[in-house]
Amino acid sequence: MKRNTIICVFLLTAAVAGAKNVDLVTLPGRDSVQLTIYNSEDLTLAKETRYVTLKKGANKLQFSWANTLIDPSSVELRPLDHVDEIEIADTVFPGQKPQHLIWNIESKFEGQVKMEVTYFTSGLTWSMDYVAISDPDETVLQFDGYVRVYNNSGEEYDNAEIRLIVGTINLVEKIADLARRQGIPVPGPESALYKEMRRRTAGRAFARATKAAAPSAMAAPARAERAGIVKEGISEYFMFTVEGSETIPNGWSKRMQAIDVEDVEFDIVYRMRAHQYGPRPVRFFIWRNDAEHKLGDSPLPDGQVNLFRDNGDDGLSFLARQQIRYVPIKAEIEINLGPDDLVVYETNRANVKRFNFSFRRDNRGREWVNGWDETAHWIDTIRNYRTKPITFELRRIWGGDIDYDSEIETKLFDYRTTEVTLTVAARSKKQYPATVTQHHGVNAKQNRVKLKR
Amino acid sequence: MRTRTLLIAALAAAIGVSAPAFGRIKLATLPVRERVEIRLDNPHFTLVEEERIVPMLKGTNMIDFSWSNTAIDKNSIQFRPIAIRQGKKFRPIKTVDRPSGAKALEIRVINVAYPPNENALVWEVYSDEPCAAKVRVSYVIANLTRSFSYRALANRDETFLTLRKYIQLRNYSGEDFGGSGVWAGFGPKFHKQIGHQEDIKILLHKFDKVPVEKTFTFDWYTHGPLNPDKPLASRVLMHYRLTNDEKHGLGLFPLQPGKVRIFIADSRGGEAFLGEDWAALTPLDDKMKLYLGESRDVVCTRTIESNQRIDVRGNLHHQEIVLKYEIENFKDKPATLQIVEQLNRLAREYGGDPHGDVEWEHGAKTSKEIRFEFEHGGALPMLLIDLPARPKDKDAKVEKVVVRFHVIIKNLW
Repeated sequence: MKRNTIICVFLLTAAVAGAKNVDLVTLPGRDSVQLTIYNSEDLTLAKETRYVTLKKGANKLQFSWANTLIDPSSVELRPLDHVDEIEIADTVFPGQKPQHLIWNIESKFEGQVKMEVTYFTSGLTWSMDYVAISDPDETVLQFDGYVRVYNNSGEEYDNAEIRLIVGTINLVEKIADLARRQGIPVPGPESALYKEMRRRTAGRAFARATKAAAPSAMAAPARAERAGIVKEGISEYFMFTVEGSETIPNGWSKRMQAIDVEDVEFDIVYRMRAHQYGPRPVRFFIWRNDAEHKLGDSPLPDGQVNLFRDNGDDGLSFLARQQIRYVPIKAEIEINLGPDDLVVYETNRANVKRFNFSFRRDNRGREWVNGWDETAHWIDTIRNYRTKPITFELRRIWGGDIDYDSEIETKLFDYRTTEVTLTVAARSKKQYPATVTQHHGVNAKQNRVKLKR
Repeated sequence: MRTRTLLIAALAAAIGVSAPAFGRIKLATLPVRERVEIRLDNPHFTLVEEERIVPMLKGTNMIDFSWSNTAIDKNSIQFRPIAIRQGKKFRPIKTVDRPSGAKALEIRVINVAYPPNENALVWEVYSDEPCAAKVRVSYVIANLTRSFSYRALANRDETFLTLRKYIQLRNYSGEDFGGSGVWAGFGPKFHKQIGHQEDIKILLHKFDKVPVEKTFTFDWYTHGPLNPDKPLASRVLMHYRLTNDEKHGLGLFPLQPGKVRIFIADSRGGEAFLGEDWAALTPLDDKMKLYLGESRDVVCTRTIESNQRIDVRGNLHHQEIVLKYEIENFKDKPATLQIVEQLNRLAREYGGDPHGDVEWEHGAKTSKEIRFEFEHGGALPMLLIDLPARPKDKDAKVEKVVVRFHVIIKNLW
């Protein structure tokens, strides 16, 4: 059994000589552990409470974290009881004893006091993933989201309150850098020693709070309901708090349901964007993270979506897998299902004409073409073999000075990209004609598409 | 000999009972698979769904799912209780009111835990009552793949085909699935024994009497001169062309890419192998083109009969070209020759840079016998010329069909 290396040492005797470190030691056990895990950095805020006994007058409390990567500047102590009677006078980092600190505490109270120690450490991570199952008709989804907490700390921890932060925080210095500042050599981040230190850091930090607790994850207090996930906004971030406490053994990860909504309506859109998705139209399921879609009580963190369809025969079909980026409240969720063999897109260019020739004259009087206009007739054809009408978005990038004309309402997505949205009835085809005039050479005055109507 | 590599075990860990420590004690019961379904409708991911009857105690049940030597995608695994045994039958799982006021299923997954360094996971499942539950476990598995192939048998006249479409399962996933339902995403479902390292070829559909068009294609710029002795002739390629629609005996579903082996019925009731080709994805209403080889009985020579520059202004000019095709059909059947003219390359060779697709128009000398198709755009016309069969009279010579394509390529410089 490994020994904890993060040690709180309570020095009962105030009159400790400066050179003497310890006169009398007690090692108060942890009462509770709360872990706030950030997924944008390898960072966990650990908060633990312990009961210590103070005497009136000066008290010393020693805290050490040998062979770990705790950020020393983040270690804080505060009393939770008798707050007005207890003052943390100063924090001393003894030069001759690295990775130690001593709090000098002035107390007007004598007796047992609940204290809170907080610090930054690493070794726990979390991620999000989603499962969406559409009904056989592809009109509504069952949408589930799961948080998965990974414990690679090297030691199990029991009955900890877990909070997960969604969002990207800014750190100006890494924990390892801060450890170096204390004059302690820290191995490179890729070295085995660094990884071992990192593992031990978290492991010790999250060592069992309550020895009497159930000895394993298998024996965690039985629950008839899954743990709820409370979501709340804090500044620019969102915090998911797992209700109750969780036990995750070392090396294990645990996946808990955070989102569970049924009958989420979604749209199916086909997109033809050769520059973005390749030569075939691709199919999208699109819905929004809002109340209309029974979501929207929190942003959706980055995570993998596995999309299935109930095949109507008590089974599933696997439709797609996609990593989604952070989805803010009211933003759209788009899942690309790839090409669909039942929707066919073709394009045909014909009737090319050139006119409006411009010439330059050389010093021998000869004329050379240096500008012209060219028109071509484009016909895009979409064939829909599905039993439902489809929405088809066609976006195309043009180069140069373009005049664009179509009898079907067309918009500009940007200065060089045309965009049209078509509805193609079930089992039918639709054509999208356009006449495109391109100005070349000296006739090209612009670099943009101009819609004629 | 391999043993089963998938294991599902229910660990009865009742509330408050002193539980085993982390040592992964796996086996309390080993429910056998009741049913396996293999879904191959996604070309990139194969989904396996298996049903098992899992005995549940009242309270918390730990259900352990582990595998080895099998590439199961851990992140894809779904566990869904779907029914509870009642007498000899199963009934769907009901939603019940919980003391908290919330609604919940009678059997519900509380969480999933993943042990370290193992291909395994443990579902913590709560059951309101002791029961036997039918659960469905679904997962994506690698190395269980499918491909498609075809066998085409032409009649003697090469007017109809019998087309058989096969699906080929390759199971190198490491798992013996036994009797499994298989579905490719279209067509019928099958029930097959699927063992590890087995390839299984299943007839998916047989299309009878599919009308087929035999085409002969001449494309000068793709194939060039036939040989030094015949510098004006080029290869004539033969294809079977099928249309994937109901009118042509197909049209049930898109035809997936795959190898097509082509046979022809002989006069003695047997078959002769004509060749094979890779079929491209053929959506509904599209045409599947199968290359058969080179024709020696349809001969075509191409001559530039005239080539005239018409100046417009400065270096701007038109190029007027007459292409003459002399075609002989030595077959005993009529044929249609398809001539592909790549006008952009023609313009570049004889007139100048077309600066994109050519602008062109017909001249007066274009033969009326030619039908034009523009399936691939205006710059790539296809000329269709019907050819009579060789004369039946022994002494009669094969008629040489001469046609002209008079093209005026405009505005070159």
